[in-house]
Amino acid sequence: MTEEWRFLKTGAKSATYNMALDRAVLDACSIKRVPPTVRFYEWMPSAISIGYFQSLSEEVNLEKCREMDIDCVRRITGGGAVFHEKELTYSIVIQEEHPEMPKNIMKSYGRICGAVMKGLKNVGINSEYKPINDIISNNRKISGNAQTRKKQIVLQHGTVLMDVDVEKMFDVLRVPDEKIRDKMISSVKERVTSINHILGNHISFDELSDAMKKGFEEEFDIKLIDGKISAFEKGLTSKYEFECFGNRDWNHKR
Amino acid sequence: MQSNSIYKIPNGKLLKVKIEHNDNKIKSIKITGDFFIYPEEAIDKIEKELIDIKLERIIVFEKLNEIVNNDNIEFIGLNIDGLTDGIMMCLK
Repeated sequence: MTEEWRFLKTGAKSATYNMALDRAVLDACSIKRVPPTVRFYEWMPSAISIGYFQSLSEEVNLEKCREMDIDCVRRITGGGAVFHEKELTYSIVIQEEHPEMPKNIMKSYGRICGAVMKGLKNVGINSEYKPINDIISNNRKISGNAQTRKKQIVLQHGTVLMDVDVEKMFDVLRVPDEKIRDKMISSVKERVTSINHILGNHISFDELSDAMKKGFEEEFDIKLIDGKISAFEKGLTSKYEFECFGNRDWNHKR
Repeated sequence: MQSNSIYKIPNGKLLKVKIEHNDNKIKSIKITGDFFIYPEEAIDKIEKELIDIKLERIIVFEKLNEIVNNDNIEFIGLNIDGLTDGIMMCLK
């Protein structure tokens, strides 16, 4: 019988909520209160998430973010700063010992990125995994991914770019040298792509979500069943929003 | 004295190191960047254990090697050599 995992589509939420819910699902899965879970979500308002090891004040122009009503949050995963707007964000939470999940971290990146690539294929886009943590199409990045392992659980979240506004992104991200800002913008424009750019037309979040959902089902040979956030997870989400992701000490800890 | 370095690890990620040093010893250190360390919390131990370590390549390398091996820490997009280089570059 095909294994069933939980599917959550939680809409557009704040950065603190999104990061707190990912962590709450990890906790709930670690004590087997919920099955492996795939979640798709968006960010409202637009947001920047930085990697666990980055410095918020060094990576982000916080004043600009306040002016432009852009949220900022530190993730529990490593990796780089990401400007979240016009994208589908996914997270997958699954036991480390699950037979579908390679023990080796790099191999598990490849496997989960395989689901994203199958999803892209379902909207007509060919792509490939580019280690360490990117997916590229026509040699340009279309998806970034980051994984953590805690409490015998793998949590990986990542983005699938639907559209990209590099100028806006560089308005809020700091660059190492202001003199080369224009050069960096041009270089990123050459290295990043999006679904709308490749297809030449706009696809809706729901269309992409359906294609991605199928991609995860195909990659892991499972059925994703629409589910709900449990009361336990809701409680933990509020706790983590307050104590962690909405907390200045956490966001500025490095 | 305060110094810092920015170093792209070959085939890896961007590493930024800030140190405060005195008498050729590390007094405080902050290691940031877009790399991955498993478990993530190990970064606090790495930074703590480097305090009072002599700023000599072999000594820094061996200290990092000891911490990483003793605690089964896994680096992705970063390695002991690269981290040592990033720290030593602060002196240049």
